[in-house]
Amino acid sequence: MKPIIHFDRSWYESFFKHIEEDGPWAKSELFSLAYLAEQERTVPTFHGLIAPSRLPLLKPHPHQVETARIVIEEMHGKAILADEVGLGKTIEAGLIIKEYMIRGLVKKVLILVPASLVLQWVSELNSKFYIPAVPQRKTYVWSQCDVVVSSIDTAKREPHRDIVLDQDYDLIIIDEAHKLKNHKTKNYQFVQSLKKKFCLLLTATPIQNRLSEIFYLVSLLKPGYLGDAESFAKNYKSGSHAVRNEEKLKALVNQVMVRNRREDTGLRWPKRIVKAYDIPFSMAEKAFYDSLFELKERGLIQPFSLLTLQREACSSREAAFTTLNKIYKETACPMNERLWHPIFEKMNAIKQNAKAKKTLELIQQINDKVIIFTEYRATQLFLQWFLKKNGISSVPFNGGFKRSKKDWMRMLFQNKVQVLVATEAGGEGINLQFASHLINYDLPWNPMRIEQRIGRIHRLGQEKDVHIYNLATRGTVESHILNLLYNKIHLFEQVIGDLDRILTHIDLKDVDKQVAHIFEESESEGEIKVKLDNLSSVINFEQNHLSEGDSHAAGGNS
Amino acid sequence: MQQAEIHDFLNRFFSSSECELLPVADDHDQLKVKLTKAMDKLLMNRPFYWHYIEQIGAEPETAVLNFRFSDRIQEGEFIHSGSPRLHQILDASEKMGRYIRMYQVLANKLSPALEPWLCINMKISYQCDLKKDRICSMGLQLINGTMIEGFQSVLNTLHLSQKLPDYCYTLRPLITIKSGLARIEHFIESELQKENFEWADHAATRWDKDLQLLNAFYEHQEEKPERYVQEKQALKEQYQPQIKVTLINAGLFFLQSAAFLPDLIKDH
Repeated sequence: MKPIIHFDRSWYESFFKHIEEDGPWAKSELFSLAYLAEQERTVPTFHGLIAPSRLPLLKPHPHQVETARIVIEEMHGKAILADEVGLGKTIEAGLIIKEYMIRGLVKKVLILVPASLVLQWVSELNSKFYIPAVPQRKTYVWSQCDVVVSSIDTAKREPHRDIVLDQDYDLIIIDEAHKLKNHKTKNYQFVQSLKKKFCLLLTATPIQNRLSEIFYLVSLLKPGYLGDAESFAKNYKSGSHAVRNEEKLKALVNQVMVRNRREDTGLRWPKRIVKAYDIPFSMAEKAFYDSLFELKERGLIQPFSLLTLQREACSSREAAFTTLNKIYKETACPMNERLWHPIFEKMNAIKQNAKAKKTLELIQQINDKVIIFTEYRATQLFLQWFLKKNGISSVPFNGGFKRSKKDWMRMLFQNKVQVLVATEAGGEGINLQFASHLINYDLPWNPMRIEQRIGRIHRLGQEKDVHIYNLATRGTVESHILNLLYNKIHLFEQVIGDLDRILTHIDLKDVDKQVAHIFEESESEGEIKVKLDNLSSVINFEQNHLSEGDSHAAGGNS
Repeated sequence: MQQAEIHDFLNRFFSSSECELLPVADDHDQLKVKLTKAMDKLLMNRPFYWHYIEQIGAEPETAVLNFRFSDRIQEGEFIHSGSPRLHQILDASEKMGRYIRMYQVLANKLSPALEPWLCINMKISYQCDLKKDRICSMGLQLINGTMIEGFQSVLNTLHLSQKLPDYCYTLRPLITIKSGLARIEHFIESELQKENFEWADHAATRWDKDLQLLNAFYEHQEEKPERYVQEKQALKEQYQPQIKVTLINAGLFFLQSAAFLPDLIKDH
């Protein structure tokens, strides 16, 4: 094919004018320097990456450079980056943007990320890659700035929507792209209508979960690559979940997806040192916890609510009070007063929190930065108060914080205070690898959420071994959970990424719901134990099965 | 550019733009320069300061830039091949070194007649979803139409001056600048046509493959949606092989006819 040859003649007029007016002429030296400058910017080959040599302070890992090269040369700039958590997808994306910009293939870039990550992306691109990215704050930014970072939620809303859809983007990057798996959502349709030459979708969650999800994600990138919806279903689907022609599908997907695994990177990962603490309730706490059963027996609450209350009571009486008070108000009638009274009394009688005491002890022992995770806002507040009372300053961290506040809290934690108390919602997307101690004050029931917590500190850039402290109250729902996660499926020693592979493989994404069912439907402690044992053996079986499969396939490159 | 080359480049750039180089402890790894007013305005991006100073008529204090080229030095701004400051300076030099007119200074007074040459330095970019470029420096003698490739490297060996030296005169061009430009373009185009287009063939194959997938995706839709048209256009932008020729800088040079060795000359 003959390429189109195009001469830029836009400078002719001004050159003629210089001749006509006899100047102003450049100095000889500057004429030579301009030539040298352009020589410096000339990229003489189609292949290879220039970007790393222009970023002498970055020191990217070999797998990151290789990923950037594969995306540009083999995937032609349209790819899903699906590295495991903490392997530096942002670095890979940055390298790709940089390479394209140096070569002059990309000028206008749109980066869509969760709102909480906007500033982090902006600062990483600017400081690590010298890419002049700006956060979208004013409407004019869309058209005036070349590299814009925004949340999808902002971009898809009027008045932004029309302006954004009007831009011709050279490159679009979408972080946390697994959120776009449903083609019927506004977000999906919005992204689909963007004008783009190159496109990167970043996700840490492998998308083998539902077959249709992978179809729609790939179709966003390359419509038709997996056929249309109908032919895709015909070729690869059998039933609602099962896959046909799996090998073929895998091979196809691997041509548009890069997935680096921890074990393949050849990097030395810091160890995880996990300690579990089984902490007995104080007498008062035990009395309160036990009294909650009565609410269920009297039919005031459903089994599900009891479970919620029990979990809260394991955390702090403050957390339980919020829910308890709500139920009390809903069911208020004079007849029930007599039942409620002793319960509140028992709650008030609690003078100390056994887990908080242990936490304080740990913090004092550790004598270094500590992150505490709790599921409850009330507990978060209580812990901050409790620690302050004992002379330890802390900062809070919630998912609901504005971006600027999140950054501020992170800075405070890094530079000023010893402890950061985060709620679950704060778990995603912040990097805290300057800390290496993490206390799980209470445990989420979904193992993936624990992975995300640990992923905040066990990631590239972590130089020390990572210490994880799990607290559970003895003889409660919590200790069952800890036993399941810790002793039965050895969650905490797992390599990140293995777990989600296992869970997706057995279609057990909602482990937390499964666990909740077990608690709600079981009549006795014994029954709970048996059922949890079953669950763990299913997971363990799959795990052994998969690792066997891995060792068989070790020779091949999938 | 290696660090030493960057050092050399900055040295030349600031000297020729009349900024004052300040003494440093280690002149291998450091460079300190006090900017002139014009360079401050060009590089420091502080229009409010200048507006203010000029309004009140105060004596401005121009900025001092302090660069370091290695880790050994603590103080100063680390400058390297990717640093934004360097690229700002590269931009500035391209802007300041765009059009030129020079006369050759004769070492031996052979003939006082200087012949007019048109010099065009261009960047030729080969682009599909990948890109590479090369620099092409062309010189055209405006009397007999002699064309030389690699003109800039010849210029680098000559002694040139901005003023017409005494006892010298310039010969009148027979070829206008306009038709000179056309001749150079024509030459480059015919050279480009002779090149190997394998890279473009490969890009076309990739393009075609993706286009077929796209067509299959919308095969069952009688009325193709707007998205189809948009995706199709996007593929064109991604893969369409093209060669772009852009200007680096251009100039008029008046040179002695003996300035060139015969083997450099190509007759056209």
